[in-house]
Amino acid sequence: MSEQINEEMWEEVYVKPVKKVGMITLLVAAGLTFTPLIYLYLAHGILPPMDAALRSWGLVAAAFGAFYIVEPVSYYAILGLAGTYMSFLSGNISNLRLPCSAMAQEVVGVTEGSKKGEIIGAIGISASVLVNLAFVTAAAIVGMAIIGVLPEIIVEGFRDYTAPAIFGAVYGQFSMRYIQLAPIGIGIALIMLGIIQAPAWLAILACVFGTMGIARVMFNKDIIKGD
Amino acid sequence: MEEVLQVANEWGIWVAGIVVVIICVIQAYLYLKQCFKAGRELGLEDSQMKQGFWVGAKTAIGPAFAVFIIMVGLMSVIGGPMAWMRLAVIGAAPTELTAAQLGAEGYGVEFGGEGYDLQAMATSWWTMIINGVGWLVLVGLIGHKLEPVREKMSGGDPSWLPVLSGAGMLGVFGYLIGGDVLTLEGPMYAVIFGAISMVILLQVAEKTTEKFKPYCLGIAMVTGMIFAIILG
Repeated sequence: MSEQINEEMWEEVYVKPVKKVGMITLLVAAGLTFTPLIYLYLAHGILPPMDAALRSWGLVAAAFGAFYIVEPVSYYAILGLAGTYMSFLSGNISNLRLPCSAMAQEVVGVTEGSKKGEIIGAIGISASVLVNLAFVTAAAIVGMAIIGVLPEIIVEGFRDYTAPAIFGAVYGQFSMRYIQLAPIGIGIALIMLGIIQAPAWLAILACVFGTMGIARVMFNKDIIKGD
Repeated sequence: MEEVLQVANEWGIWVAGIVVVIICVIQAYLYLKQCFKAGRELGLEDSQMKQGFWVGAKTAIGPAFAVFIIMVGLMSVIGGPMAWMRLAVIGAAPTELTAAQLGAEGYGVEFGGEGYDLQAMATSWWTMIINGVGWLVLVGLIGHKLEPVREKMSGGDPSWLPVLSGAGMLGVFGYLIGGDVLTLEGPMYAVIFGAISMVILLQVAEKTTEKFKPYCLGIAMVTGMIFAIILG
């Protein structure tokens, strides 16, 4: 493993430019996502009523607010710097970005969590951004026609079951590699969600950092070996 | 509802969506370029990085097709351009749908039902937007501060890093499948058969050709879905 790249060089050629592009693109995009509302106002004079806007902001912040911070923190060790900026701008993280990053690293054969792994993972994610964009654009143009010819049961199957199937598949992929850890991730999830009935944000933190903690203990005791 | 959807599908909203999508494409392009540059410094071959690109692209086909189908459903409630903008970039279907519903709730009407007028739709959109902004602003501001946290967790031990990363994956996806398993219904079968078929497919790929690997996720996804439809 030739990970002995000069840290200064890494800072110059990767960290600094990635950080700059990431900050600018995310904050600019945050502002620009309001343009549909601006259009509604300019073209039709329609604005959400202030009280309804504040009420629904409260509702949505209560539902998702904790994830704004919990998700980046939990995913960072997997995605790395460029992967994090890209994933949170492009969305569809668990069903698309994480699986594509992981498969790119697996096939190219780089060590996950290493600098090389981070680069290959980010390249895999950028490819997935373009592929997904092509598919949703096609959906906007010909989607209705295609849905029309598909049997209802297939459409419902895609809606209800593809996300769980993808999640299961990725879990299977990583269970193969760390078989000792396979019962841990799902075990903590079942305890948190099924028995304790913890809120989702707490469950995700417990799953990610609990699995990492137990992995560390197993690693120290030589039950799991790194590459 | 028809009048609402008519406005929701106006060209002006397509333009608004395109602007955001362009930002995302520019970002992906800039990162791709920077990653190739940094990768060369690390001693990665161009062929390896190109391989990473194509593996990412092929792996995305299955999940992106699922997004395609789900998006058509979303188009009929929030309009084409908003569905396109939120699913091409920024969001994911379950989050966007929940936010749109909460917007209607905040306005005091049923989502897509009686009384769901243009102002209700504007409130739905506002709620989706302000929710997405939460992630964008936070990651935009603190994204770079997460690296020192990871460094601390890794403790400078290169053989521990892949285990840390793998444990993170099993934690995240353990959480994600946890809720589905607890349904004890269709989603549970989708998880189980998605996992089993992925393990079998990857082993077949390892014994035959690595080139098959990027297609495993899509096939496992469809297999899990079929079993869930039959058993669920």
